[in-house]
Amino acid sequence: MNALWRVRGLRDLLVVIVLVFGVGSIAMLLAHVSPIDGFSALFDGAFGTWEEIAETLVQTTNLLFPALGIAVAFRAGMFNIGAEGQLILGGFAAGWLGAQVPAPAWIAIPMVLIAGALAGGVWGAIPGFLRARFGANEVIATLMLNVIAVLLATYLVTGPLIQAGGGAQETALLPKAAQLGDLVPDSRLTWAFPLALVLAFALRWVLQRTVFGYELRAAGEAPEAAKRAGIDLGRTALVAMAISGALAGLGGATIVTGVLHRFNVGLSPGYGFIGIAVALVGNLDPLWICVAALGFGILQSGGIAMQAEAEVPKQVVSLVTGLVIIALAGRRVVASRRTT
Amino acid sequence: MNGWIGALLALAALTLIKATPLIYAALGGVLSERSGVVNIGLEGILIAGAFTAVIVSGATGSPVLGALAGVVAGALLAALLAYAATRLAVDQIVAGTGLNIAALAAAAFGLVLVYHQPGASHEVPALGQTGEDALIVLALVAAVGLHLALTRTPWGLRVRACGEDPSAAESAGIDALRTRFLAVVIGGAIAALGGVFLSLGELDLYSDGMTAGRGFIALAAVIFGRWTPLGATGAAIFFGFFAALQFSLQRAGVPSEVMQALPYVAALVALAGFAGRVRAPASDGVPYIRP
Amino acid sequence: MRRRFGAVQAVDGVDLELLPGEIHALVGENGAGKSTLAAIAYGAVRPDEGTIEANGVVGLVHQHFKLIDRLRVWENVLLNREPRKGWTIDVPAARERVRSLGTRYGLDVDPDVLVETLPVGVKQRVELLRELDREPTVLLLDEPTAALAPSEIASFFTTIQDLAARGTAIMVVTHKLAEVIAYSQRVTVMRHGRVVARHQTAETTAAEIAREMVGGEVPPLAEREMRAPQPLLDARGLTAHSGTSVLHEATFTVGAGEIVGIAGVEGNGQSALADALAGIIPFGGTLLFAGTALRGDDSPAARIKAGVRVIPQDRLREALVLDWSVRDNAALGRQRTLPLARFDAAAREIIERFDVRPPNPGAIVGALSGGNQQKIVVGRALLGAPRLLVAYQPTRGIDIGAAALVQSRLIEARNAGVGVLLISFELDEIFACADRVLVISDGRFVGTFAHDEIDRGRIGALMAGHA
Repeated sequence: MNALWRVRGLRDLLVVIVLVFGVGSIAMLLAHVSPIDGFSALFDGAFGTWEEIAETLVQTTNLLFPALGIAVAFRAGMFNIGAEGQLILGGFAAGWLGAQVPAPAWIAIPMVLIAGALAGGVWGAIPGFLRARFGANEVIATLMLNVIAVLLATYLVTGPLIQAGGGAQETALLPKAAQLGDLVPDSRLTWAFPLALVLAFALRWVLQRTVFGYELRAAGEAPEAAKRAGIDLGRTALVAMAISGALAGLGGATIVTGVLHRFNVGLSPGYGFIGIAVALVGNLDPLWICVAALGFGILQSGGIAMQAEAEVPKQVVSLVTGLVIIALAGRRVVASRRTT
Repeated sequence: MNGWIGALLALAALTLIKATPLIYAALGGVLSERSGVVNIGLEGILIAGAFTAVIVSGATGSPVLGALAGVVAGALLAALLAYAATRLAVDQIVAGTGLNIAALAAAAFGLVLVYHQPGASHEVPALGQTGEDALIVLALVAAVGLHLALTRTPWGLRVRACGEDPSAAESAGIDALRTRFLAVVIGGAIAALGGVFLSLGELDLYSDGMTAGRGFIALAAVIFGRWTPLGATGAAIFFGFFAALQFSLQRAGVPSEVMQALPYVAALVALAGFAGRVRAPASDGVPYIRP
Repeated sequence: MRRRFGAVQAVDGVDLELLPGEIHALVGENGAGKSTLAAIAYGAVRPDEGTIEANGVVGLVHQHFKLIDRLRVWENVLLNREPRKGWTIDVPAARERVRSLGTRYGLDVDPDVLVETLPVGVKQRVELLRELDREPTVLLLDEPTAALAPSEIASFFTTIQDLAARGTAIMVVTHKLAEVIAYSQRVTVMRHGRVVARHQTAETTAAEIAREMVGGEVPPLAEREMRAPQPLLDARGLTAHSGTSVLHEATFTVGAGEIVGIAGVEGNGQSALADALAGIIPFGGTLLFAGTALRGDDSPAARIKAGVRVIPQDRLREALVLDWSVRDNAALGRQRTLPLARFDAAAREIIERFDVRPPNPGAIVGALSGGNQQKIVVGRALLGAPRLLVAYQPTRGIDIGAAALVQSRLIEARNAGVGVLLISFELDEIFACADRVLVISDGRFVGTFAHDEIDRGRIGALMAGHA
């Protein structure tokens, strides 16, 4: 029998460490940089100073939202590769609305965050609907929608919804009231970070302690049994994908309101994809995902510093991320396909 | 006098050009899935093929060597996925996604390493017009060849058996894991030619993101084509047609992003329309674990 | 020979010898190790200890056919041994080889047909042909008559006896003692992985073998109390299809306080019947439940609410979440009405009333034996206040002790006023439990028998489609 959900803990952790340090070192050597210099630049850049720690937490937050969304989809038996597109559209909705409709902070902030979540939720609900209604493979649907999302956002931001004061492929600067407050002054770290943590705890509670969570998990792990237990698989697929998209969209919104203060088509260096790795390393458990997000946040912020300081191209981080996903792909085999 | 006939022919030619990388990728996908392994990593294989071909062509001065290197690179990447899918029995879709991310990153990394600039490579010796045409013809030949191989040869029968029921295949003495592994690797080699076409056939360089999700459209083509080489080729040509339309319609004033989105929307609609009505090989995507 | 699977010693110190021209029966209840032994003898599984010697090719016809549905008959029979013409397969030669093989052994099949279109009996012929093409000197058959109608069983054994007469050594793994007595020359009895008895068939009886299989007496079933059933379920012209299973115009009733047994060979519409009642598929016709007409487009949730409980055919796929605890599985089906805090108490109730071992609500269901898993499924259905219980193969693949417990609980529920529809492929089970027997064949009900009218011969004939 496969130990599918059981934490293979130590062995997988070892694999991740080997990949990070092993492949990382090889790449650094190829770039004519000693691994010692490379890694010290990376870790120094991640938490050398308080500002750098704050930046690491910013990256952690940006990863945490989509990762939580992807984990919810996974638990329901779906694979949401479309978090990137959902995140981008969520960010666009937040950025556009916030600049278009000025309001006092206590209205503006919830408004833009909800807009982001809604936009992402709708974008996630589309493949959910296609799966529920037509049985269409949500993997390919979300992949297509990723590309379409970028094109849609670009079109809207440069065309019909263009805003004065925005640069190329940008919305206008958000009024101060619509910007998330800084958690640490003069840093990019905002209240989005504790928000994400709260969401993680809330998600865990919902999954473990509510009927909704029970039915969602059953649908993901044993669809035939769930169906006979009265669970509506189509509805579960739709709702799970909508929630998944909403979380990713919320993440995009927090990036726009907190970090960039405007929407830019290039706002995400692939958070929606790295989020897959975060979700897997976190074993699809919201609390462990927080830890995994921190780990990848360190790699992300450290990677930028590493490129600047040690001249190692930061793509090394993405390369290692991809390999980690391959290595941990065993952590999720669709339950319905199990043979015993 | 040429008028609209000329325009139609030009459109047909452009359709074929746009379809060729899709055909190669889709054929690779078909072979892989008929043996039972879903290869989401086609995009990564296209990238690997395109990138490696440029690097080797630049280093050796021979575009043909570059093309061969691209094929080898695709096969190697596919081997990684094949190993994870057969021996480690991991989730094939997740592993394929990881492959795409890793391949894109590796290519970007390689660009900086070799050319000391991100974004694009220098121009390298390319295959030229004859080379480009040869690759187009080869794609169609490969489609027919794969069709014959799957339906008429013993090897093809065994591949199909593994894709339907690996347990039954093994009880007939077939090594299902090895058969799947080979099918995925050969499929990767074929798909990589699509990448070679993009970088050395149509152009003479590699740039970040030049594959633009074609590997994913190819997956839709596999489904749309009912997992047959000829069907997938037809679907690839269909999607290529939408890509070819871009230029004509752009002159008509349609916004460029809408045009660019056409093939992807077409794929999405096709998916929704076809999903319930076609049957994949019974064990497609299901890892086989020996008892 | 010895072989372990995880914590279970499946085969423990077994010696077995097969002689040419002889039909040797290997019996034991579910989990005794017979299938494992057959797999080892065939070479599919390697023993941890011990040796196998075979004088020639060993063939194995599996319990669950190893046929590929979407390939043709000749492709299945000659897979991996195809006749070639250069680089391609010589298809005419392949077809001819299958035809002559069929004639030689009296097992005629059309080589060009897709296997998925074949009825079960013919599929088995294809499976047999596949092994026979390899000219085996030893032929192993694992539960070969499980999916055959009584008349098909006779013709099957004629083929087998013919093979034996030609010198093949035959071993039949089975739990059907009537067939053992009728057709075998020697019998070996296994229990818990060990050989506990060997006999010349002529010198023993079915009763003796049964005792040796169980290691004692089979516990008696609960008594069926005298009662008059009240109206509960009234089906008229019920039509449904679920995958390949089709039900035509079924008209029947199930009363509260009676067990109605549906006797039939696997694949004759039972799945369509069960799924229609469960609300998984739509149905045509009328279905009255406690006076109210059930809707054809209902959902399982609505049926559960109305008081219909189902014990599905495939507990691993359709009834349990294998990675979850007993506690969480106990709530499946009742998760909307049972508060989270009461999951544990509900699980303990099932564990206690149904003797689930180990008696730990936190145990992971996937680690339990088949018998204990099934007890959870049955217990969950019975303790969920059912009005109608659809029990589909409720004792499939579990040991005799657990099976007897399950059957007794079904009878007790019937005594308490529950209406039970018992769908089973084991005639003995139906005869032991049912108040009335309906025979299903080809999707239609073809005969009704009250408990005292039961006639094995007639029922067997009806099951095979003969009036």
